[in-house]
Amino acid sequence: MNDRLLKTTNPGGSPLINERLFKSIGKPLQRKEDQRLITGKGRFTDDFSMADQTWAWMVRSPYPHARIVHIDKTAALAMPGVLAVLTGADCMQDGLNAIQHSPVPSTQYDVKLRGPGDTPVFTGQHYLLPVDKARFVGEAIAMVVAETRDQASAAAEAVEVQYEELPWVFDSREAAKPDAPRVWEDIPGNVLVDATFGDIEGTEKAFAAAAHVVTFKSHVGRVTGVGLEPRAALGHYDADGDAYTLYAGSGGAVRQKRELADVLGVDQKKIRVLSFDVGGNFGTRNRLYVEAGLVLWSSKKVGRPVKFRAERSESFLTDYQGRDLVTDVSLAIDRDGKFLAMRAHNLSNVGSVLVSLSPLGKGSGLITGSYDIPLATLRAQAVFTNTMATQAYRSSGRPEVTFAIERLIDRAALQIGMDRVELRRRNLVKPDQMPYMNAVGSTYDSGEYEINMDALLELGDFAGAEARRAEAQSRGKLLGIGFCNYVESSIGTPKERVDLIVHADSVEVVIGTQPAGQGHETSFAQVAADVLNVPFEQVFIIMGDTDVVSAGGGTHSGRSMRHASTIIVLAAEELVMQGRKIAAHVFDVAVDQLAYDDGVFRCLYDNRAWTWFELAAKAAAAKLPPELAAGLRVRFDNEMHTPVFPNGSCMCEIEIDPETGSLEIKRYATIDDVGRCINPLIVHGQAHGAIAQGVGQAMWEGCHIDPATGQPLVGSLMDYGMPRFDNLPSFKNEIAEVLSPTNPFGVKAGGEGGTTGALAVIMSAVEDALLPICGVIEMEMPATPLKVWTAIQEGRKRQREKSPARTDARPEVTA
Amino acid sequence: MTIVSMRVNGVEVSREVPDNILLAYFLREELGMTGTHVGCDTSQCGCCVVHVDGVSLKSCTTLAAQVNGCSVSTIEGLANEGVLHPIQKAFAAMHALQCGFCTPGMMMSAVDLITGHGRPLTEEDVREGMEGNLCRCTGYHNIVKAIITASHEMHAGAGDAQAA
Ligand code: FES
Ligand code: FES
Repeated sequence: MNDRLLKTTNPGGSPLINERLFKSIGKPLQRKEDQRLITGKGRFTDDFSMADQTWAWMVRSPYPHARIVHIDKTAALAMPGVLAVLTGADCMQDGLNAIQHSPVPSTQYDVKLRGPGDTPVFTGQHYLLPVDKARFVGEAIAMVVAETRDQASAAAEAVEVQYEELPWVFDSREAAKPDAPRVWEDIPGNVLVDATFGDIEGTEKAFAAAAHVVTFKSHVGRVTGVGLEPRAALGHYDADGDAYTLYAGSGGAVRQKRELADVLGVDQKKIRVLSFDVGGNFGTRNRLYVEAGLVLWSSKKVGRPVKFRAERSESFLTDYQGRDLVTDVSLAIDRDGKFLAMRAHNLSNVGSVLVSLSPLGKGSGLITGSYDIPLATLRAQAVFTNTMATQAYRSSGRPEVTFAIERLIDRAALQIGMDRVELRRRNLVKPDQMPYMNAVGSTYDSGEYEINMDALLELGDFAGAEARRAEAQSRGKLLGIGFCNYVESSIGTPKERVDLIVHADSVEVVIGTQPAGQGHETSFAQVAADVLNVPFEQVFIIMGDTDVVSAGGGTHSGRSMRHASTIIVLAAEELVMQGRKIAAHVFDVAVDQLAYDDGVFRCLYDNRAWTWFELAAKAAAAKLPPELAAGLRVRFDNEMHTPVFPNGSCMCEIEIDPETGSLEIKRYATIDDVGRCINPLIVHGQAHGAIAQGVGQAMWEGCHIDPATGQPLVGSLMDYGMPRFDNLPSFKNEIAEVLSPTNPFGVKAGGEGGTTGALAVIMSAVEDALLPICGVIEMEMPATPLKVWTAIQEGRKRQREKSPARTDARPEVTA
Repeated sequence: MTIVSMRVNGVEVSREVPDNILLAYFLREELGMTGTHVGCDTSQCGCCVVHVDGVSLKSCTTLAAQVNGCSVSTIEGLANEGVLHPIQKAFAAMHALQCGFCTPGMMMSAVDLITGHGRPLTEEDVREGMEGNLCRCTGYHNIVKAIITASHEMHAGAGDAQAA
């Protein structure tokens, strides 16, 4: 529970950024949003109801892959309360379009992912309801609308769908084979992306000349977000105004509006999307779901509002899922432990339709991790399978590649007999190399990796670890010490818009991000308050209603704090100009006779001075000329492309009971360079939650599929291993503020670092604990007690075979 | 249909509802009290916890009819005439909530846990006693801190009582 801050330098920036005067920025202020959330007054999607509303229920495919031969609605339509039964054929008849997910990352900083043979990437067609076939278990095939939810659910049972089962494939390695069952007939195989990057020839030469070559292969499995609020959508078509309204929590209402307009084939002006409190997102709600389109479309058909609320089991089957990357990496190292080159082959499972290549793309740019590796080549592939689509999930793509490089380095240290910290130290990117372009073309903006690493080792008392190991051993336990560094990237949609409005008693900031617990109403208000020098309590952040928020990039990829702080200060500069003009008019002086300083407009030749709120009151009462008539209000659009690279180090200790294989995390420490930290209370909270999600994947979570039937085996919180009160420890976290030179406040991002290193550090600890018995282990996550116990049994068997007198001595390493 | 009557946060209510309506939906949909949340369908997450006659209970797994005649309190009744309950203060002060979806059930469970112990809680008490509630956002770290803090406030002076 060590929540201290490490401070470094300030890059300066705007004249409105004056650290000396910060009253809110950097302070652990309590969140504004909490008042409603702790009193039961949150506004989650299912909290909204409309008069005369009806209920939707989906008929979902029980098969991983099946042709839809015929759908008979007759029996269902005859059931009590049923208003409509709708299918893919009805969607086609009404001319609905497929969802345009824009799945291929396209900024100039993203790696260019292409189809096989340098072709455009084939995405599949994501219709609200399919006409031809079902491509995964749980896919919505038909929809029932009825008076009550129970009636809709009962009638869904009566919809007779005749399927013709088809061969299926769920494993990406199988799906990539030429004779695998084809998810889409439109392309020759299931491989939709196949692109190679880096200096192939140089890498080969370096490998040929290397003193050591180390390899590591793994499958980073499929997980799901499990936001605790199940997905919901309430749609209403108003025939009088020919307009649609949707209540649906998401990662950005503006995007939902745009994509829904495309699907329905109507003008964007006809659609209003409202997204207020969102019960967890983590990436899963950033892309459009079919049910959002379905409730709007069906509302028009039945002439009443239509509501959908997912069961938890539906969330497990049909929330966009995460990870699922097969990685095969190798490292060339010279005699002195210097990294020479890296090779990587990453294969991403996108599921049944392409929703996002962000995980593969983001990861591709970071395969070399925090290390100065001069040469690298990467082959990035993606395949379709008969599974739910994957999407960016907390720290899209980065935990996977961090896992690969960091596990690879642990292996290297064992193989060449060098201390793992020292091996890393010799290869970390140095501050004087910043900005540093890695071997696949990503330019790291700033960071003090070695300083962070040393601070972490101190925070986690790495020096005392061996004594703790000995103490555990005296109790018959195996203590494993895990350690890793990470670097991740934050890019995200480059465009953002803000409206900054000063009233006589408040400031309103209208912005197009969409938090799901990240506290934007608080941290953005801290920025606006200090930039304008007004009280934090009087700043209000307005989000989530597309009738008010006209544009905006949503919340993903750690973009929000960086974009918001930047655009707020840029807009404030314009607002100051507008304020000076208005003040000049009201004071009746020339504009150049007016100074603005720290929240006060001052007339230069007398003592008259007004604060923002005083000026707003005067402006409201005055008759302003047309060009100033809007008052103290500006709209500002900004585009910011340059990515930033949050980074850090993590350490953990896991105690294993060799007799049962049970694991207990005894210690978990991180240091995260988030750039400028606006609110440490919130940033620490982000770190805690992010760690839990990464640890969850490493130790418990997994969307397992039965290899015999293709059926998902995980449909409830009884079968999905969650981080819980009693399986996590309290954490030790520190924030390192190495300010980014890429934006006015020097913000990087704080929401995803905790997850990025967690997979690697947990598996590092597990391997370290088992080392004396098992040597290096090939264990896929999650590291369940069964896997650990089995590894111990096998390790002991090997030891007995080798030498009957067993020793649990640890291998020697030298610095 | 059946008539169900209960006291909710001190107010008598009575509704004619389907026999199978769950207490969670009775509160949310019949009474419009949407502070109680439903996060799962297998009684695992604890988002739905309310107190029935002072004891915490998962309202997603309880028929409204089962609590006919009982006294139910929900998150909406936790603050006393605008004065926040110690658990509410601690959750806000320690940032024990992010999205806030688990929070109502989390706090209702915590209050029962604290009351039931009759003394301030330790980290072990909280991690074991709160096992029936899930949170996906916070990693539990700050929730544990907040519950311990609230337990001290709620049991201020209770040390003597315990010693007796
Ligand atoms: S809603 Fe999940 S336990 Fe009640
Ligand atoms: S705060 Fe989001 S689930 Fe707990």
